[in-house]
Amino acid sequence: MLNYLLKRLFWMIPLLIGISLVSFLIIHLAPGDITTTEAGFDPKASEESRQKLREIYHLDKPVIVQYGLWLERMVKLDFGTSFASHQRPVFLQTKDKDGNVTPGMIEEALPITLLINVLSLALILVIALPLGVISALTQNRAPDRAITLFVFIGFAIPGFWLALLLMYWTGVVHDWLPISGLHSQGADAMNWFAYTLDTLKHLTLPVLISGLSGLAGISLFVRNGMLDVLHQDYIVTARAKGLPENTVVYGHALRNALLPLITILGLSIPGLIGGSVIAESIFAIPGMGKLFYDAVLMRDFPVIMGILTIGSALTLLGNLLADVAYAWADPRVRRGVMQ
Amino acid sequence: MMHNLIKQSALFHSLLLVSALLAACSKTPSGNTVDFNAEYPPEDGGTMIDATRGEPSGLITMIAGEAAASAVAQNIFSSLLRFDKNLEFEGELAESWQVSPDQKTITFKLKPNLKWADGKPLTSADILFTWKLVTDDKTRTPYGSDYKLVIRAETPDARTFKVSYAEPYAPAINSWAGLQILPKHLLQGQDINNTPFARNPTGSHYYKLEKWRSGEQISLVRNSLSSQGPARIERLVSRFIPDEASQFLELMANNIDTMTLNPVQYARIFPARPELEQKFGLYKELGNSYTYLGFNLKHKPFDDIRVRKAINYAINKQELIDGVLLGLGEPVSSPYKPGTRWTNPDLTPYAYDPGKAKELLRQAGFKPRNGDGVLERNGKPLSFEILTNQNKQREMSAVLIQRRLKEVGIDVRIRVLEWASFIGRFIKTGDFDMVVLGWSLAIDPDQYSIWHSSQQAPGQFNFIGYNNPRVDRLLEKGRMELDPDKRMKIYHEFAQILQEESPIVYLFAGYGLPAIHKRIKGIDNPAPPAGIGHNSQDWYIPQPLRRTEISQ
Repeated sequence: MLNYLLKRLFWMIPLLIGISLVSFLIIHLAPGDITTTEAGFDPKASEESRQKLREIYHLDKPVIVQYGLWLERMVKLDFGTSFASHQRPVFLQTKDKDGNVTPGMIEEALPITLLINVLSLALILVIALPLGVISALTQNRAPDRAITLFVFIGFAIPGFWLALLLMYWTGVVHDWLPISGLHSQGADAMNWFAYTLDTLKHLTLPVLISGLSGLAGISLFVRNGMLDVLHQDYIVTARAKGLPENTVVYGHALRNALLPLITILGLSIPGLIGGSVIAESIFAIPGMGKLFYDAVLMRDFPVIMGILTIGSALTLLGNLLADVAYAWADPRVRRGVMQ
Repeated sequence: MMHNLIKQSALFHSLLLVSALLAACSKTPSGNTVDFNAEYPPEDGGTMIDATRGEPSGLITMIAGEAAASAVAQNIFSSLLRFDKNLEFEGELAESWQVSPDQKTITFKLKPNLKWADGKPLTSADILFTWKLVTDDKTRTPYGSDYKLVIRAETPDARTFKVSYAEPYAPAINSWAGLQILPKHLLQGQDINNTPFARNPTGSHYYKLEKWRSGEQISLVRNSLSSQGPARIERLVSRFIPDEASQFLELMANNIDTMTLNPVQYARIFPARPELEQKFGLYKELGNSYTYLGFNLKHKPFDDIRVRKAINYAINKQELIDGVLLGLGEPVSSPYKPGTRWTNPDLTPYAYDPGKAKELLRQAGFKPRNGDGVLERNGKPLSFEILTNQNKQREMSAVLIQRRLKEVGIDVRIRVLEWASFIGRFIKTGDFDMVVLGWSLAIDPDQYSIWHSSQQAPGQFNFIGYNNPRVDRLLEKGRMELDPDKRMKIYHEFAQILQEESPIVYLFAGYGLPAIHKRIKGIDNPAPPAGIGHNSQDWYIPQPLRRTEISQ
């Protein structure tokens, strides 16, 4: 097992280099660089000064040399500094000799996005599991139809549209929830309880909106998994030997039906660090989606590459984790890995 | 299949209905009403909250550059000079300034007893230090070129700063109004490119930074040592809300005091909601830019003045203003703010006259040929592409232009591009026929970098390829002339030649449309040329009208 893990981890390195090289090349295929976006189209900014900036950022060198420079820094786990945001560190904060701390960009955006995504994933699981089970047990009858209709509406409804309506309803018409942002004015003066409550209030709508669209996938997955399992021979056996229906459904069927879910959860790990640009813009949340989108528009290469690198490393790790978890949960897979 | 479709459309309609119902119930004003229209005497204190779409990348504007950064930094830092309400120069840190008889040297005399917000004295050494920074090759700024023309900068004493140029350089005065002075005692020995000072600045203007919550908001508080005397409002908060619709919801919910509206919000939503008009004052100010249709003068047939004029006559500018801006803009016929001295009052926009357009095209040799409605010359149809970037107003303008040009026999396709691709792939390479873009309505009249024939290299701003020796001479003369009246004549003539030659079609200049809560008093209405915010230091919020929820 350990051998297998080490082998998988080792192979991640060439894979990561390959991914980063391809990403790097594709980013540089897009026309323009920071000097076309930053000083915009301001006649006060001369072409000579922009050429000077290009030299400082090594943008005048061939792409492959730029990639080499980037890789050289990455080997030392140095994500570099942003072109656009006054040289802010891309990933982690830095401290200068006078003790002034400059916060990292990903470091600031990641916890917020992670919190929203974990909360909404939890919300999805809590709602989708029972929905899927009920659907399977009442297959093709009214409750099943109603649930399927509901989750598909949730899936198909444009998130930004629903978000604006809910913001209007709960924030303007009624004074129930804050409209946008993460904290109220004066949040600094609150005690920790009021502060947490205030933050949770601000997160309610974003979590709800991002959860709603995820319901369909998981609940249908659970439903179909359950249906598969319920038609297996061992379920017939369990029923034949007179086990109570609840034990059959939750003890035998559901546990087996949940196995494929492990793969899905493993694959959703990289998704946890990605935010939705639209949701983050509407709710004015400084998360990863907005950070990435703005970086792409500004051609802020170090930030784009930083997010892509972390994202692809997490994807590979997520796959590995899913495989391991699968082996742990399913003896058949475990035996296959051992051999 | 049919069944499915009906189901879908029924679903869609019920969704629409829900939204209509939601929109129909609006909040009724609760209990104790405050009369926001009443008059109150000026008093200090209170908090004003506004919303901006972007977050500043830093507050040192020579490096940050973007509008969001300038909007905040202009409340923190002072420059030597500033613009008064009519966009004429006046002293900010400088008490007076003098141009030498040979027009090559400018001497600034600072006001007495200037202080930084941390109590240290602000002297001419700080100004020299800032000049050195902006001209230093290691400083990552695209704005250094104006200041590099200074061949000698001196500080004869703590209150005098003297700069000399090799040649008289008229835009110099304007450049000293644009350079925000940075404190030497805090920045010396630091790397300006990544100094923490950019996120924790110390300035000398009305306000100083109180707290910057990354991604959320910046709050400023009054600077008691302000070089300009005290402002009235105690605290300014800028919230970063990227989405216009969300900003508007926050405004409706009374969580922000001011935002810049778009024409639909201004001309449609506000008049339909009396409860909003009760609480908010709507203002109009002249915008900072104009939108134009530019020709690639190096491509045939745009080298032919008759074709350019024909297109100018074929486009109905009023229709664009009514359709795109809902009437909230005005036509321009020179690249300067209407109402300032640089605008030539004798010029009027090309009238909408499709008959004249057709006649000019006929004179240029274009004739209908195969009956498809598109004119041809030597077998080549009048068929072009208009490029523009992702900007709703420009896209809509392009569509209206497309239709009007079709009427005179010109076939136009429209292509909308993301900004960096647009500039990198098409503008820099000169690979375009026509563009819809904008230029700022400059405060300083110098337009050398946009219109001089020497400014056509890739990445420079005369990308349309305009080349006129007379204009070149005027632009050179205008740069050397520091006397405002003589300068004015030069630029009036320049604007007149542009108007005659029609290298671009001026489309419109849209108004800035701020909505400001009526709890804020002291606002000059109508706005002078410098805009509604020109006297924001005198705005005040009377005690009874302040928000209650903020306790600090």
